[in-house]
Amino acid sequence: MVWHITKREIYDNLNSLRFALTTVLLLALMVTNAVRHLREHPKRVQRYQDAVTESLNRLTAHADENLYKLAQYGPGNFYKKPSPLHFCANGGEPLLPDMVEVEEPNVFATDSEDNILLQGVWSLSYPDANLQNKSVGPDVSQVDWIFIIGYVLSLLALLFTFDTFSGERERGTLRLMLANSVPRHTVLIGKFLGGLLSISIPFTLAVLVNLLLISTSSDVHLTTEAWGRLGIIFCLALLYTSLFLALGLLVSTRVQRSAVSLMLLLLTWVTFVVFMPSTLASIASSFSPTKSFDEFWKQRNPVQEDLWDKYREWLWSDELDDETLRGKSDFYTEHVERSERWREGQLKYRSSQMHRARAITSISPATLLQHLIESFAGTGFERHLQFVGNTQHYARQLREFIVDTDRGDPESLHIINVREGMSQKPVSPAAVPKFEDTFDLNEDFNTRAMELLLLTLFVVVLLAGAYLAFVRVEV
Amino acid sequence: MLKTLIRRELLDNLMTFRFAAVLLITLLLVVANTAVLIQDYEQRLESYNDAVKMHQQDLRNSKTYSTAHLFVDRAPNPLSIFNVGLDKRLGNLIGIYHGFMPTLWDAQMHGTDNPFIAFFSSIDIVFVFEVILSLMGLIFAYDAIAGERERGTLRLVLAQPIGRGQILLAKYISAMACLLVPLILSLLFALLLLTRSMPLSTADFLRIAGIVLTSFAYLSLFYLIGLLISVATRRTGTALMLAMFIWGLLILVYPNLIRATVNPGGDIQARVKTAHNQIQQILDEYERERQKFLEKEGIAEEMSEFSKALGFYHQADVDPVTLTTYIESISVLSEIRPDFEKYIPVAKRYYNFVEPLATRTVEKAWRIRKQALDEIYVKQATTDRILLKLSPVGIYDAATQAWAGTDLSGLRDFFDASRRYRKIIIDYLYAKDAFASREWFVADKGTVDWRTLPQFTFQRSDVGINAKRALPDLFLLLLINLIFFTIIFLIFVRSEV
Repeated sequence: MVWHITKREIYDNLNSLRFALTTVLLLALMVTNAVRHLREHPKRVQRYQDAVTESLNRLTAHADENLYKLAQYGPGNFYKKPSPLHFCANGGEPLLPDMVEVEEPNVFATDSEDNILLQGVWSLSYPDANLQNKSVGPDVSQVDWIFIIGYVLSLLALLFTFDTFSGERERGTLRLMLANSVPRHTVLIGKFLGGLLSISIPFTLAVLVNLLLISTSSDVHLTTEAWGRLGIIFCLALLYTSLFLALGLLVSTRVQRSAVSLMLLLLTWVTFVVFMPSTLASIASSFSPTKSFDEFWKQRNPVQEDLWDKYREWLWSDELDDETLRGKSDFYTEHVERSERWREGQLKYRSSQMHRARAITSISPATLLQHLIESFAGTGFERHLQFVGNTQHYARQLREFIVDTDRGDPESLHIINVREGMSQKPVSPAAVPKFEDTFDLNEDFNTRAMELLLLTLFVVVLLAGAYLAFVRVEV
Repeated sequence: MLKTLIRRELLDNLMTFRFAAVLLITLLLVVANTAVLIQDYEQRLESYNDAVKMHQQDLRNSKTYSTAHLFVDRAPNPLSIFNVGLDKRLGNLIGIYHGFMPTLWDAQMHGTDNPFIAFFSSIDIVFVFEVILSLMGLIFAYDAIAGERERGTLRLVLAQPIGRGQILLAKYISAMACLLVPLILSLLFALLLLTRSMPLSTADFLRIAGIVLTSFAYLSLFYLIGLLISVATRRTGTALMLAMFIWGLLILVYPNLIRATVNPGGDIQARVKTAHNQIQQILDEYERERQKFLEKEGIAEEMSEFSKALGFYHQADVDPVTLTTYIESISVLSEIRPDFEKYIPVAKRYYNFVEPLATRTVEKAWRIRKQALDEIYVKQATTDRILLKLSPVGIYDAATQAWAGTDLSGLRDFFDASRRYRKIIIDYLYAKDAFASREWFVADKGTVDWRTLPQFTFQRSDVGINAKRALPDLFLLLLINLIFFTIIFLIFVRSEV
């Protein structure tokens, strides 16, 4: 019986104006999305590869010279690997930095002839969001899957369901149907499935065309794993659409006239999808104490004066004895550790603010969907933090490698980060560990699972509400 | 008769659920967003005030002319609450010195606490109106004719001796009267909040009035689009469906699609390169003249000695992307060693020759750069804006930005003022004979007195100019309104009931 009602619903929809319009709209959007991706992704990959090659060349050059040079200058900058699923979620691309900088060693002191007396070692630094926008054009978002699913598909879902019951009631066919021996929940499920299937048809079609275009191009390679993630994103889209279908059914059962039902739905949609994310984020970001311009610049450079006092007796000495060298080595190491810790603290403070804003905006299903798609597509802020984590992991690995290699050289004094205390032999570049930016889906799955559950909860609650409303309603 | 009709329609519209719902939502969204926006504005204002204070302090601390840090800051525009435009996007801090031409592409941002928060797009009042007013217009219009046709009341009305035009007019007037209620009421609440926390001038109120007028034309246009659909369709269901699709297309899809399809011209790179080469040539010529002077003075061979004596730092460069051209020569000595005292006369002659030369060079390069920037950045943006105007949203956005003064021209006003200020500073330096003074490069015998330095002031352009920039778009909106009304009238007159 469920299938019967579903079938009727689908046939009804297939012939309607909205079905035709939906198909055209979704196809146009998905084709635009694919074309844009094909145009831009190769460039993005090229930029990444060029940058990575340059970094690698620097690393090789330092390693070829000697171990000390490698320890002092470290690797070149780290770059974030562009996700092949960038077309699903651009993840705030122009704003988010795509690199972690490796800062050149600080020069602490020079003599009058510009010869370097004291020079530290490399450190990691995390660039801020790139606010320096040179574009003066109109400000519009990009057409990615998040936009197509989050805004357009959800609106279409409402247009498909707003008159499910109120329309039948208006035409009088609802009584007719319920006069048959069909339980009401069967009717509801049938209608829900009918709506879901009839909106899935144009959406699936559009997705297939999109993926066809993308996969036929030789510039973009999608791995099996990427296809798997695309499958998950597709399922997410269906779940998200179900939410709006259920909302449409709920309102449609309670409201007598379909016009009123659509209006209520649209106002709800506008509030939750369009306004809620930005307004709530602004409110959330104003919770945290803000720092003024002055303060901001003041704390850019942490005061390290106590370090200078602590190591004073060794820093200005020209002696090459063990104690002096060790003193210098400790100074460099502690200096780098401190600046890195300070920068990491900054990043952590900011990301905790971001997380708070995200948590608050999660009331809006559109934001939930955005976070979920971003995390499965491997873009966005969380991915950026993962990339930063990768670079930190690698930095530790490289530093350990340097200590280990130094230990293997019998001529070295094994005093790290000081020229006279370290191995002067070249290192085989092949032996040096290479940085690889990997995207790990399993990392920190908790937040994602929570968001997924929240989205499912919304759907279930709305469906249950629709059921209760429909069972009790008089026809 | 028209009066009766209008009264009937008015009552019909006012007593509906949709009116109450729309009123409530508009009020809620506008008030909530205004509160957030005011807080954001105050924060930016505080940041601006801090920056101004800091820059004044910096200037007082600089002892020589060549090491002076002269910065001007751009205050946040209070009307950015209505339409933020480019106000938050472009830099608000720029250095002023004779070897550099300030433009909006060189401006820096005041520090923000957390730049990542910028990911969440900010909403202004015009954006709320863009979405809500258009929806309201369509919701009120879709069944105006089609509904009466369905219920059969249209025949009844037309049986009376009333012209069809009059019916349309009555419907239009009464619906607009109803729709104005949420618009005006929410704006009043917003203004109430605004005036409590920031002083607005009379000019600002006039600008806001312009924004209200534009909003009205925008609202009316969407009502007419709905009416057209209503006249052209038989059933209200179809009318509603069509209206919603058109709404989604005009508001949601088209503005975002346009950016995705427009392909930035491929020859931009080449254009930048040519301009870069031209500017580089100008800089090379400057360098040649500088060398010639050094040779003439006979210090070309002793350059390293000369540089060290003066703590000399010289740099002339052009950025390959933004074409930022600058010539910087500063002296970082706090005192001059007695044995270098012999270089003082030649140093004075050197600076007196080189600094005016640098000023002229940069001005020459600016003529090339200005043209290139217009072609590279401004032309593209203008094309995008014009394409965007195919949707009423684009026109409305452009017009309200012009009223608020947050559009490109409004922001360029500030940078024009900063260039004028640079000129004033240069004139001041000439008047003081600063280039040939000892205080230019060293402060051991008296420091620079900054108290007589002309102050930078910037007034936003007056309402007349705002109006001149906004009126073409406003007229365009009104014209489209008129065209739509005529089309609706023609269809309605010819249609069978």
